Amino acid sequence: MSANKPSLRTLFLTYLKIGAFTIGGGYAMLALVEREVVDRYRWLDEKEFLNMMALAQAAPGLLAVNSAIFLGHRLCGWRGVAVCVTGAVLPSFVVILLIAMCFSRYKNLPAVEAVFRCIRPAVVALIAATVVRLAKHIW
Amino acid sequence: MVYLQLFLSFLKVGFIGFGGGMAIISLIKEDVLRYGWVTEQEFVDIVAISQVTPGPIGMNCATYIGYTAGGFAGSVLASLGIILPSLLIMLIICRLYDRIHDKWQDNQVFVWVMRVIRLLVVFLIAHAAITLMSPATFPDGWSWVLFGGVFVCSVLPVFIHTEQGSVGHRVLDAVSHPIYLILLCGAVGLLSYLIG
Repeated sequence: MSANKPSLRTLFLTYLKIGAFTIGGGYAMLALVEREVVDRYRWLDEKEFLNMMALAQAAPGLLAVNSAIFLGHRLCGWRGVAVCVTGAVLPSFVVILLIAMCFSRYKNLPAVEAVFRCIRPAVVALIAATVVRLAKHIW
Repeated sequence: MVYLQLFLSFLKVGFIGFGGGMAIISLIKEDVLRYGWVTEQEFVDIVAISQVTPGPIGMNCATYIGYTAGGFAGSVLASLGIILPSLLIMLIICRLYDRIHDKWQDNQVFVWVMRVIRLLVVFLIAHAAITLMSPATFPDGWSWVLFGGVFVCSVLPVFIHTEQGSVGHRVLDAVSHPIYLILLCGAVGLLSYLIG
């Protein structure tokens, strides 16, 4: 078991931050979850983190949501599940709603395309770097 | 009844969607085009937007398609539909894990099974990175320069060891932080646009 038990508020704010700053889906999220959950707060060690990812991948559904459920349950029971899942999906729900309402007018702007053109390779690099960061903890 | 169709359709995707974002998107596509909620062209646009906005890609697609097909209520129902199966299945898995993990932590078979699974996970992540290295994501040489820069910054802490709390540790922490790296690349893109 992990030694550190977070408050529900810390857990919610952490997952809200992860949800708000994860661009590119579940795999891109790994880097940020690892940083917050393993490096910063030490709620899980590296092996437990990999176990969490393994189980979240073995189950159907979204990797990001599955790992939020696992972590919430492990740290704070069903209340933890509620705050982690809400935190993980709330930012994307709000952002997508706003975009669905008005983005169609702006998506072809060259400035918007120029920004995302440079972000996309960065997202792939972060995913590739996660492989290097986790590889030494497989055993 | 578009609301019921939306909810049930995404509930189904939540139950059978193995293998992460891209696998799930191919499942969503079937029903979405069959029911005519969005056109094929719109669907491709939605997938692109889902990839460049915060949050899980499958969740973003569900919210966007739900809103397009059934307004605010549609977006809520589609999002709930894709999450509910995860809640049910993951909670069962968590219960089992807690029981097995605490008792079997020193069992050699369990240790080896988890090692193999961890190995597979790392391979799957590598596979995801490699499949994303397409011309759409990497249109020119500069994309690879950005990729290399971000990759090197991100793996630096693996190879350079610093004392917790030292200046070096904080500098390393900042240059390898995913959020800073993404924001920096976005700024580079904006700058390249402004200077033509």
